[in-house]
Amino acid sequence: MKEKPATVFVVDDDEAVRTSLRLLLKSVGLPVETFASAQEFLDQFDPGRAGCLVLDIRMPGMSGLELQQHLNDRHSIMPIVFITGHGDVPMAVEAMQAGAVDFIQKPFRDQDLIDRINRALEKDREMRGELRERDEIRRRMSQLTPREREVLELVTQGKANKVIAGDLNVSQRTVEIHRARVMEKMGANSLAHLVRMVIEAHRED
Amino acid sequence: MTEPNETGNRPPSNVAELELRAVLDAAVDAVIVIDATGCIETFSHAAERLFGYAADEVIGRNVTVLMPEPFRSQHDGYLTHHIRSGERRIIGKGREVVAQRRDGSLFPVFLSVGRIAAVDPPRFVGLISDITDRKRALEALRRERDRAQAYLDLAQVMLLALDENGTISLVNRKGGEILGWPEDELVGRNWFSTCLPPDLRGDVQSMFRHFFDGAATPAQYAEHEVVTRSGERKLIAWRNVVLRDERGLVIGTLSSGEDVTDQRRRMEALRKSEQLLRDAQSIANLGNFETRLPDGPSYWSRQMHVILGTEPEAGPLSWADYAARCVHPGDRDRVVAAWSRLTSDEQPLDAEYRIVRPDGSIRFVHSIARLGRDAESRVQAAGTLHDITERKNAQEEIRQTQERITQFARLSTMGEMAAGLAHEINQPLTAIATFAQALRRLLATPGAADPEDVELALSQISAQALRAGEVIRRLRSFVKHREAHTELIEPRRLIAELMTFAEPDARLNDIQVRVEAAEDLPLVACDPVQIQQVLLNLIRNAIDATNEASPAGREIRMRMRRDEDGAVEISVEDRGPGISDEVAQHLGNPFYTTKPTGTGLGIAISRSILRAHGGRLAHRPTPGGGATVFFTLPAMPGSDK
Repeated sequence: MKEKPATVFVVDDDEAVRTSLRLLLKSVGLPVETFASAQEFLDQFDPGRAGCLVLDIRMPGMSGLELQQHLNDRHSIMPIVFITGHGDVPMAVEAMQAGAVDFIQKPFRDQDLIDRINRALEKDREMRGELRERDEIRRRMSQLTPREREVLELVTQGKANKVIAGDLNVSQRTVEIHRARVMEKMGANSLAHLVRMVIEAHRED
Repeated sequence: MTEPNETGNRPPSNVAELELRAVLDAAVDAVIVIDATGCIETFSHAAERLFGYAADEVIGRNVTVLMPEPFRSQHDGYLTHHIRSGERRIIGKGREVVAQRRDGSLFPVFLSVGRIAAVDPPRFVGLISDITDRKRALEALRRERDRAQAYLDLAQVMLLALDENGTISLVNRKGGEILGWPEDELVGRNWFSTCLPPDLRGDVQSMFRHFFDGAATPAQYAEHEVVTRSGERKLIAWRNVVLRDERGLVIGTLSSGEDVTDQRRRMEALRKSEQLLRDAQSIANLGNFETRLPDGPSYWSRQMHVILGTEPEAGPLSWADYAARCVHPGDRDRVVAAWSRLTSDEQPLDAEYRIVRPDGSIRFVHSIARLGRDAESRVQAAGTLHDITERKNAQEEIRQTQERITQFARLSTMGEMAAGLAHEINQPLTAIATFAQALRRLLATPGAADPEDVELALSQISAQALRAGEVIRRLRSFVKHREAHTELIEPRRLIAELMTFAEPDARLNDIQVRVEAAEDLPLVACDPVQIQQVLLNLIRNAIDATNEASPAGREIRMRMRRDEDGAVEISVEDRGPGISDEVAQHLGNPFYTTKPTGTGLGIAISRSILRAHGGRLAHRPTPGGGATVFFTLPAMPGSDK
């Protein structure tokens, strides 16, 4: 599946600010999409799309903070850079506690904004990479037989082959064969690698 | 009875007796000698003429034959009483008695009796003179005196004569009336002890004494009090002369006295009321004037001069001089016009203007005048001049203070909206900065910039700069200190401009402001900034109320419509907690506030602004909860769409 390029999504109710942001991001070659309200953005939101959100914290109707809450509810991983006005520090703190990557006060220096956007895009990339890796481990794990899955559990608990053979009431040789299969199916090049993959697979999203 | 001789009695016995008889016969007065029993012994010629008896007829008879009753019966008693006791009643004194002639007629006589000593039993000699003429003369004199008294009594002043002892010898009826005594009871009394109050008695009496010493002559005119029989004091104005005898010695005084108590009381009352008027004018700083038209003599009360700073001694100014010298040049035309409307059209004058005092200081006066007629029915203008400088100054001070408070309230409302306004200016600034930076990046790589983008950025930069400027301009015009002024304006425009401030504040508080305006609104005459101040205040309050109650619908509605009376009603509706009765009671009291940081001036000032516009501010509950505060502005007649 061919992914769309990472996009900067701008949500601001002030048309002039919105347009100026689009032009600025275009000038540095970043794909940009703008929205006049939080609702408009939410209506077309696709969690699979890469990028970051540049969000005005105060807007009539649904505010920036409320939009952040909606996205969190949908397990969105899209990093958010909040744009705040004077005296919005309490709201900015709230936004950071709710997982925003950063905020910037209006008016801002273009480079400061661009740096923050780049960091956000980088973070998005990382997170999407991790997600992809986890999905792969889980796919491999799903190809294991029930007996192989049992052996994987015991191996990652640090038990020796002899002990596992006793637990499963099979020969030590049989354990060795299963273990080799598991290592092969999981693509693990060492026991340590295998253990890390199992931990990764069990992580919450 | 023998031949009557010259004296009628016995023939003379010796020379001495002859001499005596000659004396008796020559005497004008009748001479009668009686013995101790009253028998007549001698009866002179004059007695014969007087009584009409011949001597022979009466000699030997009792003398009582010459008297009428009751003297006749009493005479024997007198005689025996005298002889027995030696007591003298008549002897040596003489008295008036009535005698009876032979023909029975009575006539008044003066009788003097002497006792002939050295004979026993004693004999008595009586000398009798007819006093009929004298009586008549006295009677005439008495009548004359009564007539004089009648004249005196007619006089409407008190007439009083005192002898050298201060005894009243004459007082007329008026005197009796004034003093409360019957006149005849006063005569013979001491003037000083009877009619003078004790505190004056000594002084007046010693002065009176000096008249007699010749040490003083009475003042032609003097005033002092007397005391009446009932103890009342009366003030008398006296005119005095002294009475002298033929040798020029003072024998008494004659005075005329006029009771001036009432007159003095009236004068005192008049003086007092004039004083009161003067005091009242001084306290009120109000003078009054009269001017005979066209520019005749004037009357000015003293306070006129005090107000105008002119010399009272110089007298009132003519109207023309007053207008030229006292009225401030800047007000002169107006005042002269008002005066001529008064004098030619009889339009009452009622004007406030300035006057200039000779020292150059300026005072504010309020003058009222109307046309009337003086005592001689000549047309005159009469009026008052009231110095209202202090009141004016106080009014001006109040006006300025109000202006400052209004200004302060405006600033403090603005302060509450500062965050919203900062946002409103920050938006275009952000856009400008961002466009400029984008443009710089676009132009940094030659040929990379899309001309459309460059055009967009540049036009947006200028548009946003103007947008920020406009916000600042409105803000400035709203908060800057300024004189109130009225203009004709469409209610809708009033609100459109206001939204520059109200909307950001509402947005900041996540509140929507909805404006609903009727189509047919007339123009209103108002000071737009002041009305916007009122509206802003109401919106601020509505925002606070909305935050307090956090209702589901965060919305404020502004409605504009014509009310039943044709006035324009503008209302601000919120869905907050509403206005409790407790709060409603105090609403509009200066410094009453329910907000932690409120000044308590907003509603009070809004009220006074609307009062000045002929409108009113009131509130009612919003249907379904919350408060609706509304005000009315009178519509401009004829400006309906």
